[in-house]
Amino acid sequence: MKYALFTGCVAKGAGRELLTATMIVADKLGIELIDMKDASCCGAGVVHEDNPRLADAINMRTFSLAEEQGLDIITICGTCQGVMRRVQIRCEQKPDYMKEVNAELKKDTGREYQGKVKVKHLYEVIAEEYGFDKLAEKVTKKLTGLKVGPYYGCYALRPHESSDVSVPDRPEMLEKAIEAVGATVVKWESMQKCCGFPILMPNKTNSLALAGNVLNGAVEEGADCLVTPCPLCHLNLDSYQPEIDSLKAEIPVLHYPQMLALALGASPSQLNLDSHIVQAAKIMESVKA
Amino acid sequence: MAVKFVIQRFDSEKDSAPRMEEFNLEIPKGATLLDCINLIKWEQDGTLTLRMSCRSAICGSCAMRVNGHARLACKTQAVDVVTDNKVVIAPLGNFPVIKDLVVDLEPFWASLERIDPWLKPNESVKWERERLQTHDDEKLIDDASTCILCASCYSDCNVMEVDKNYMGPATLAKAQRFVFDTRDVKTKERLDQLNELTGIWDCTHCAECSTRCPTDTKPLARITELKARSMEHGYSNSAGSRHVLAFRESIPGKYPGTGGGLINENYIPPRSLGFFNIPALIGILPVGIRMMIRGKMPPLLPHTIEKFDEIKRMFGRFKEYLK
Amino acid sequence: MKHDVVIIGSGLAGLSAAMELVGNLDVAIVTKVYPSRSHSGAAQGGVAAAVANHEKDDTPDLHMYDTVKGSDFLADQDAVEYMVNAAPDTIIKMEKLGCVFSRDGEQKIAQRAFGGHSRKRSCYAADRTGHALLHVLFEQSMKHKKNLTLYNEYYLLSLIYKDGVAKGVVVMDSKTGKIDIIYAKAVMFGTGGYGRAYNITSNAFSCTGDGIVAAYRAGLPLEDMEFVQFHPTGLYQQGILVSEAARGDGGYLINGKGERFMEKYAPSVMELAPRDIVSRAEQTEINEGRGIDGKDYVYIDLRHLGKEKILERLPQIRQLGIDFVGVDCIDNPVPIQPTAHYSMGGIPTTLDCRVLADVDGTIVKGFYAGGECACVSVHGANRLGTNSLLEACVFGEKAGRTILEDIASLSHEDINEEDEKSVVKKRIDNIFASPGTESTNAIRNELKINMTNNCGVYREKSKLETALSTVKELQEKFKNSKIADKSKLFNTELQEALELQNMLEFSELIVKGALERTESRGGHSRTDYPKRDDDNWLKHTFVSKQPDGSIELKYKPVTITKHQPVERKY
Repeated sequence: MKYALFTGCVAKGAGRELLTATMIVADKLGIELIDMKDASCCGAGVVHEDNPRLADAINMRTFSLAEEQGLDIITICGTCQGVMRRVQIRCEQKPDYMKEVNAELKKDTGREYQGKVKVKHLYEVIAEEYGFDKLAEKVTKKLTGLKVGPYYGCYALRPHESSDVSVPDRPEMLEKAIEAVGATVVKWESMQKCCGFPILMPNKTNSLALAGNVLNGAVEEGADCLVTPCPLCHLNLDSYQPEIDSLKAEIPVLHYPQMLALALGASPSQLNLDSHIVQAAKIMESVKA
Repeated sequence: MAVKFVIQRFDSEKDSAPRMEEFNLEIPKGATLLDCINLIKWEQDGTLTLRMSCRSAICGSCAMRVNGHARLACKTQAVDVVTDNKVVIAPLGNFPVIKDLVVDLEPFWASLERIDPWLKPNESVKWERERLQTHDDEKLIDDASTCILCASCYSDCNVMEVDKNYMGPATLAKAQRFVFDTRDVKTKERLDQLNELTGIWDCTHCAECSTRCPTDTKPLARITELKARSMEHGYSNSAGSRHVLAFRESIPGKYPGTGGGLINENYIPPRSLGFFNIPALIGILPVGIRMMIRGKMPPLLPHTIEKFDEIKRMFGRFKEYLK
Repeated sequence: MKHDVVIIGSGLAGLSAAMELVGNLDVAIVTKVYPSRSHSGAAQGGVAAAVANHEKDDTPDLHMYDTVKGSDFLADQDAVEYMVNAAPDTIIKMEKLGCVFSRDGEQKIAQRAFGGHSRKRSCYAADRTGHALLHVLFEQSMKHKKNLTLYNEYYLLSLIYKDGVAKGVVVMDSKTGKIDIIYAKAVMFGTGGYGRAYNITSNAFSCTGDGIVAAYRAGLPLEDMEFVQFHPTGLYQQGILVSEAARGDGGYLINGKGERFMEKYAPSVMELAPRDIVSRAEQTEINEGRGIDGKDYVYIDLRHLGKEKILERLPQIRQLGIDFVGVDCIDNPVPIQPTAHYSMGGIPTTLDCRVLADVDGTIVKGFYAGGECACVSVHGANRLGTNSLLEACVFGEKAGRTILEDIASLSHEDINEEDEKSVVKKRIDNIFASPGTESTNAIRNELKINMTNNCGVYREKSKLETALSTVKELQEKFKNSKIADKSKLFNTELQEALELQNMLEFSELIVKGALERTESRGGHSRTDYPKRDDDNWLKHTFVSKQPDGSIELKYKPVTITKHQPVERKY
């Protein structure tokens, strides 16, 4: 298995521990990842609020880079994944539009997107291509007793037409991964609600209230930690916990590859787990050896 | 198919809290969810209370939460929402409940009225016949004009859960219908209002609205269009619009050190909040310090992609892409 | 509660009337739903007006002839003439208010073909024209909020009418069950039709003839109640409407043998024949065993229109097919059957929307009606598609203007509140207190099946007699019915029982009129009297309730101005 790795900005910025964990997981599972060093920011949905065609174009440029490499793209950010899927769907549904944007893209870069690249998040690749059975076989340190709340983030699930999850209102891809590493799935009512990250700047009060809803629900259901495939959700849910007044108890939040890496034998220090604001390293204490 | 319908019951005059009640029903072939709820009402318990009218997904009366999500009961084939032999039905969220599945919609109508939801044309130009509008211009408002005001979006809107002052998705979609109507001349006034707090920039992109919308209105898409139109008009008076500008500047590295194809995460917050917005900047200090302590601060100099010049060229032709 | 004008009904007719009055008078609208939930919004294919955008040679005169011919010559031609002449301005007014119409290549309002119209004159907003019109008026109602009181979710219980004068209405607040009297100098009804009494119907749950029955109970006559339109393309078993635009835009009707059977019934216009003719053709095919697989439905086939045209012009009906019968019309033909759709009959009015007290033209002071609940009569025995939205807009507006003219001569009359309330309270108490055993649901179902089977597309004496005796039995049964919800708060079970009571009342009038009318004309088709009989029946039926509860039938001649009746062929 070989993919072009689209890291997104956070994994090379404020969430470098995500990239560390991803590379460890890839190594342990035998997935070859080629870093797309030329790829730009996906626009995070924000550039689409400014200049939709330019936003589509920068993503089509990224797709064309993968086409040059002859590889499909793997993402490690739920937001990047959602944004890029939406661009792909527009291209699929509106060939004329795709042609127009390609023409612009070509002027600036000489590139064109042929429409042949698949974009999958790591958790989808594990679910659909690698397989949970195979993942379970590779586990060397079962996370037995660890109660994990799966938190997908909005971009992974909605709108349904741009979600790759088969039943987006009842997804299973994270749940099955949690079970495959020997941990226990905890579900809670607000598990599919927004983390509030997108409005952190314009409306911090609302943003943190949203984060509080998500976190408190998980705390009440007794989760030891959350796991998320989106580093932007991670930023809001982890970094801002000390500022959420309504928070009932602190709860660590793991990046999806961190959870896998722990079960595949990586140590908390290798994973830089203590870089999280809410100490994630501690949760390892609850794992029965 | 024999199915258990678990329906939330509540009488705001008598009950202190809602309760769930189970009804067993054999779903007739081809029955909609509304058919089933009516069968329960008519054959099992006449006190079960809901709104309904057209049966054909155009009046918006029978919106309710099915298995936790808003949808029109009439537009739903009952067998499609059965899971584990069960359907869970509750009233719309984000509203006070009056009785069973009937909620108090007044906040919804009140929100709608905030944006002056009627056409404001240029009254000084007299048209003898209809005003002209191209097919393409009509298309710009076609989707928003399919809204049936069922309030499904309002029900499931995540922001509305934490802030009842937020305008909400249906209202913003309705605003798009006027801002983008070539016959309406109050674009600036409308955009001014939408760029204030509780307007477009308070949307958190959870996409619940578009996901639950039973029509082509798809409010999130309309809100995104309103944001883009605001940016075209040069709005920068909100952290939301400046956040967009921050991306516009950071990705192509408009100023030295602001970005390199990827964004510079150190640049985004102060640019969004305003470099001279001291209270807000002080507000983000704690998280900055926390991240610094954990070694989580992004590198001061941004990561630069290899063929950065391509991205610079693309953003350099920003306006051409806008067409 | 006291207003200059109270309008019952928030559909196109009621809102159109209100728009003429806001700012001038203190206006209130009473609606049992919310304005945007009104059934006008369900109209799909278009609104007729000879704006001549598409076919430059179209004129109101042509529109008039088509309408008169479509009505099987029962329409009052002065009313039709008024409507078709007002049509272009009315549509253009709606555009000016902001209605989102589909546009043609010249940037004008687009127009499409419709059954019975000799020109493409249906102005449309995709296939949700009623929705577009209704919402633009709802928007305007918010604009004029300061001058307009909306009583949302208030249910009409009775019309207060004494000695030739309408004085107000008795209503119930659905949210609290509280019964109130609204005094008004002028009362206007835009309360919609009565198609809900049929088993297969396109009508909303709300179309229970509340206004019509309120007028009838008050002692006023109703006109042409036997004329019910059956729409040829109701989704199989659900009755939900597939817009006539589907035929207007080129859809084929196909029987079980794969034939385009309309060539037998209307060879020159095929599927674009008026609705009564197409519905009868379908019913004949079905009755003679040529339904699909011999069953009680046929197909409408749109596949040849292609995906693009369907998505552009018929998106809503495509979705309805997918959601309600699981068929995507892009790939498969859609199963359909005739469905009760429109009520040609109703409260008789003058051209100016003043309500008539009798066949002699006596006018009720302070009472106005417009739209489907009224019978002015522009549709006669059969309405042409797209003329209903037009009627609601034109005559709603007209009612408003007439009220403005009349208001100086009208005043708030004294009302004996206790008397008025006690009558309706007794009705409600009877329902509450009844120790009954009969299920209202069973009564309702039996009524609907009875009406569809015995007083439907085809009628005959023996069936109508069965229909009549069944309705009477059901009226008796209703007295012994039971309801479970005895609360005041949002009691929809009570409201449904009151609506059922209304349906039982007007169903008798439909049947009675149908039984007496020994001819076939438009939507009323008697197998035992298959011919139109102008010598004896070129006249309107007036039914009214006598003090002893019996029904009196009288007749009023048709107003014929320009077009003498001729045989109706397509």
